[in-house]
Amino acid sequence: MASSIASPKKLRRVFVWELPVRIYHWLNALAIVALIATGYLIGNPPALLSASEASERFFFGWIKFIHFAAAYIFFFNFIFRIYWSFAGNKYAHWRNFLPISKQFFKDMWAVIRIDILLKKDTEHVAVGHNALAGFFYFLTFLAFILQSITGFALYANMSDWWFADLFSRAGWLFWNEEFAMRNWHHATMWFFIIFAMVHIYLVFYHDYVEGRGEISSMGGGWKFMEEEFFEKKEEKETKAK
Amino acid sequence: MAERIVIDPVTRIEGHLRIEAEIKDGKVTDAYSAGTMVRLIEEILKGRDPRDAWAFVGRVCGVCTSVHSLASVRTVEDALGIVIPPNAELVRNIMFCTQYLHDHVVHFYHLHAFDWVDVISALKADPDETSGIAQSISNWPRSSPGYFSDLQKRLTRFVESGQLGIFANGYWGHSAYKLPPEINLIGVAHYLEALEWQKEIVKVHAIFGGKNPHPNYLVGGMACAIGLDDVSGINATRLAQVHQLLKDAKEFVEQVYIPDILAVAPYYLDWASIGGGLGSYMVYGDLPTNGFNDPTSFKFPSGVILNKDINNVMDVDLRNDEEIQEFVARSWYNYEAGDDAGLHPWMGESKINYTGPKPPYDFLNVDEKYSFIKTPRWKGNPVEVGPLARMLVGYARGREDFKEVVDSALAKLKVPLTALFSTLGRTAARGLESLLVAQWALEFYDQLITNLKNGDNRMANTDKFNPAKWEKQARGVGFTEAPRGALAHWIVIEDTKIKNYQLVVPTTWNASPRDPKGQMSAYEAALKDTPVADPEQPVEILRTVHSFDPCLACAVH
Amino acid sequence: MAITPSRRPTYYEELKAKGYSRRDFMKFCAMMGAYLGLEASGIAQVANALETTPRIPVIWLHFQECTCCSESFIRSSHPIVADILLDKISLDYTETLMAASGHRAEAAMHKTMQDYNGEYILCVEGSVPTADDGVYCCIGGRTAEQVLEETAAGAKAIIAWGSCACNGCVQAAKPNPTSATPVHKLVKGKPIVKVPGCPPIGEVMAGVIVHILSFGRLPALDRIGRPKAFYSKRVHDTCYRRPFYDAGLFVESFDDANAKKGYCLYKVGCKGPMTYNACGVTKWNNGTSFPIQSGHGCFGCSEENFWDNGPLYRQMANFPGFGIESNADTIGMVAAGVTAAGIAAHAIATNFRKAKVIDEHIEEGKEAEKEL
Ligand code: HEM
Ligand code: HEM
Ligand code: NFV
Ligand code: SF4
Ligand code: SF4
Ligand code: F3S
Ligand SMILES: [Mg+2]
Repeated sequence: MASSIASPKKLRRVFVWELPVRIYHWLNALAIVALIATGYLIGNPPALLSASEASERFFFGWIKFIHFAAAYIFFFNFIFRIYWSFAGNKYAHWRNFLPISKQFFKDMWAVIRIDILLKKDTEHVAVGHNALAGFFYFLTFLAFILQSITGFALYANMSDWWFADLFSRAGWLFWNEEFAMRNWHHATMWFFIIFAMVHIYLVFYHDYVEGRGEISSMGGGWKFMEEEFFEKKEEKETKAK
Repeated sequence: MAERIVIDPVTRIEGHLRIEAEIKDGKVTDAYSAGTMVRLIEEILKGRDPRDAWAFVGRVCGVCTSVHSLASVRTVEDALGIVIPPNAELVRNIMFCTQYLHDHVVHFYHLHAFDWVDVISALKADPDETSGIAQSISNWPRSSPGYFSDLQKRLTRFVESGQLGIFANGYWGHSAYKLPPEINLIGVAHYLEALEWQKEIVKVHAIFGGKNPHPNYLVGGMACAIGLDDVSGINATRLAQVHQLLKDAKEFVEQVYIPDILAVAPYYLDWASIGGGLGSYMVYGDLPTNGFNDPTSFKFPSGVILNKDINNVMDVDLRNDEEIQEFVARSWYNYEAGDDAGLHPWMGESKINYTGPKPPYDFLNVDEKYSFIKTPRWKGNPVEVGPLARMLVGYARGREDFKEVVDSALAKLKVPLTALFSTLGRTAARGLESLLVAQWALEFYDQLITNLKNGDNRMANTDKFNPAKWEKQARGVGFTEAPRGALAHWIVIEDTKIKNYQLVVPTTWNASPRDPKGQMSAYEAALKDTPVADPEQPVEILRTVHSFDPCLACAVH
Repeated sequence: MAITPSRRPTYYEELKAKGYSRRDFMKFCAMMGAYLGLEASGIAQVANALETTPRIPVIWLHFQECTCCSESFIRSSHPIVADILLDKISLDYTETLMAASGHRAEAAMHKTMQDYNGEYILCVEGSVPTADDGVYCCIGGRTAEQVLEETAAGAKAIIAWGSCACNGCVQAAKPNPTSATPVHKLVKGKPIVKVPGCPPIGEVMAGVIVHILSFGRLPALDRIGRPKAFYSKRVHDTCYRRPFYDAGLFVESFDDANAKKGYCLYKVGCKGPMTYNACGVTKWNNGTSFPIQSGHGCFGCSEENFWDNGPLYRQMANFPGFGIESNADTIGMVAAGVTAAGIAAHAIATNFRKAKVIDEHIEEGKEAEKEL
């Protein structure tokens, strides 16, 4: 709890995000930004004026090439992240994403009260993801899956690799309508755009309101926790004993 | 006691037509025509984008393909006040002519011929004699004795296989067949040749509309951009192909279709006084030569003739809500204002309510409602539409080109003008208008080339393609002379969406059930007094019904 | 599955099995010949034909349709339809072309159903209305549903012609007032070949039949039952305008300068990228053209539910459940706008509601900074 007198606090350095998570994060962010930019253009091509012959141009081909290249990076990066949610440290663990305990729901409620509804009374402290963020990342993972299935199913016809063909059966999810599949692929883009807006805002929010180095944590892996935090934790643990 | 016979399915037509006829003393005393399939496309159109309507209504019929799309784009253009470029009008005209030639030839050979031509009798023909007859009536090259004898062998082999396919259970040997074996053999030969030819002429649709059946149309013009200096667009090669196809079509009509009609007709002159029916005719007009807004420039003039009075041709106004109205007194629909009301199509309704017998059934209850076809009337009058109506109105309007083809055919058959009011007249009129249309198609082609030579290569007017530029409310009517007769669509647009869309179709006019006053429509009227030698094999009824070229998917939609 | 009509007993074999002698058979042939008005020499030929391979019998039903599938079929150039009808199949029932009407037509159909039980191919053109006990399509007083059930029972295989029979087509478009239903939803336990398109290309239709006759079995089908030979590629992947797409050169509105140059039609609504059909390769009417070549976008006429994926002239399809005017982008932009507004409001509120905490942190930071 913050004391009423503004006196400098002792902070401890905590190693939260291991290098693989950080690499994953930025690769993922880059791939998604590229996929949104190119995907948007595929869906809404610009009007270009050109004096040159089509044979000398491959503008749209490049757009699509970037989309598909980014798609592969995005997909395998995601697969790696799933692996790391078993192999990595406790902040990377899959339990951070799935609301399977009562405590998880309690924590989510706390985040909603404090960070979303901006109630003043209490503070919640999370070292890795807070519960609500974790849950939203879980939703994004579902969106990753949807986007990968629809994307690779659309791509199956342009690829000779058996890999993309694995997804060609996804059509039945969409009543065998490729129109619908493409529509959902397109619509899900907006989920990512909105997620990114909120996500980046909240990262800044946390950095600004809590002052624990939230933004830089995805760079160096460190967050900075107050000494009080560790003291309280010890207190709790001894009490429990 | 009269005997009730049922013909269902009536085959060699488009769609699901059922005829119930009372027969007494070898003659039809009363007849009922029923459409037994419905899709409710008018209901499906509600709320959709008016620019898309041509594609939906195009699917009303794949036999008279393209004509509903044409009527539809004209309807929407009328509502939005769009004037299309001259080239688009010409391309539409050329496609229209193509549709006529295809539809009429296929009707004559593939849908109508077996009513007059006895296929099995052709097996007994003498190939030499056949060749002699063929060469005496036309210069068509496929006419050698060897050609006919090979064909006869092929036919024999086919029949001997015991699997008669489409010929199975035909009315072969019926006393109503009058042609000598040799002319029957010519008929079979041309059945097969026409089958080959018809797939060629439709390439004109493929060139301008991308495919046939169901070529593409566009509100505001046509989508086939002219690109004389480009490999992609309509350029010299594509135009040359169109030219060739139109010339070939004209040749086929002149050398095969017309000579065949004239060769068959003398054996069936009794049919020049059977099947006349209403004697009232209506034409909306079509084939503009100076834009669609100038009806005086139309190749087919419009007009109404009542009770065979060709000295008095009246005008038609499709916007006047007193003139064209549809009734449902005997059709399986309900009107909000009661089932005896007549509604102008802008106010039209299509609320279905089947009250017929529960299938499987043996007879319809013809004293009540008995069809999915509505009953249209012009100022309360039943009228016949189609080729015969067009030829009569053109003739009565004093148009020289019409007079020439009609008078020369009448002279060759040595029959008076009144012979046209009949089953035979209807079938002959279809051939005669094909002659005119084949000629006009080439004129439109020449005009298109002249325009392009003069540097006009516009094909669409897209000023109003964007719905943001439309009035909040609009209504329009568009029409065409479809192969089977006068066709019009009416639209009401509200907030850029279709609020109401109604089609009144040629076969709706001709095949409809009775109106609230009990007046018959064209089919029923024409069947009255038709002789029927053997009620088990009513080939005579088929003759008269087929002479209208029924299209039931159109009639009901 | 194998479809070899020769495995079916010929007339002669059938008679033999029923205990008739060769003499009886010849007598039957003579009677038949006489009925057909043949001379004696013809009778040997009749016998020969009846002893050898029959043409494969076909029953072609017509339901809720516009008959453009039949029309398209007769447009086939290779093989031409006359040859198919005379030499390849025995088209024993089709309302469009057969000579007999009424009960004589139905008799022809029933004869084939009896004589070739389990052997004939059933072609279906049109959808089947199931609303109100099927009264919206009746033939000979029976509903389409009843006719389909009876004829399907003895069929060796079923070919569903066109989008009507494959997915309901235009009459199944919203609100589908007659409950127009495709064949595969009504018939179970029979192989069904779907040949979608509105209509399908004539040569494709003929191709399906020729495949069955030449190789004695159904063509390989994709996972939803379409012959791979014609429906494995998207129009977009075989479209000759594809280089313009890849170059980013598009027709912006009909008949503009780009249209005259034949640029890609994507932005005026081409649905080629979502449509599986042979149009780009086989083309229409003996290779004359196809929609895109004649300047109009593909509107996906071989795809499920394509009528409700309109408007035709927008490259994005409608988004289900959001009314006719919304596509994914309009919904997305509204959502993004609302989100941005929410973020702005939250950011402002944060500065008020959390002012104390933030001030403390700042004070704290300043204190620390002083110590440096
Ligand atoms: C965050 C991830 C992604 C986003 C935001 C995204 C976005 C988009 C968008 C907006 C479109 C245009 C759709 C339209 O026509 O309206 C598109 C097309 C496409 N995307 Fe993605 N996409 C993503 C991931 C993927 C993945 C993982 C793949 C897998 C290969 C993929 C493959 C495709 C394909 C094949 C197309 C169609 C391109 C064409 O037909 O030329 N996308 N994407
Ligand atoms: C300026 C840009 C960004 C910054 C500073 C940033 C920062 C962060 C931080 C600090 C975390 C850890 C959050 C926590 O403690 O709960 C995080 C997690 C995450 N971020 Fe970002 N992010 C950025 C952009 C993006 C973008 C564009 C995406 C993708 C749309 C993205 C997707 C994710 C995901 C999926 C996680 C969860 C990571 C995991 O645990 O695997 N981020 N980000
Ligand atoms: N009746 C009719 Fe049609 C024609 N001709 C349409 O307007 O056939 Ni299908
Ligand atoms: S699929 Fe299309 S073309 Fe074939 S019958 Fe149906 S509406 Fe006509
Ligand atoms: S015209 Fe249509 S099918 Fe052809 S490349 Fe463009 S989008 Fe693809
Ligand atoms: S609309 Fe149909 S005809 Fe071919 S190009 Fe498209 S699938
Ligand atoms: Mg109507």
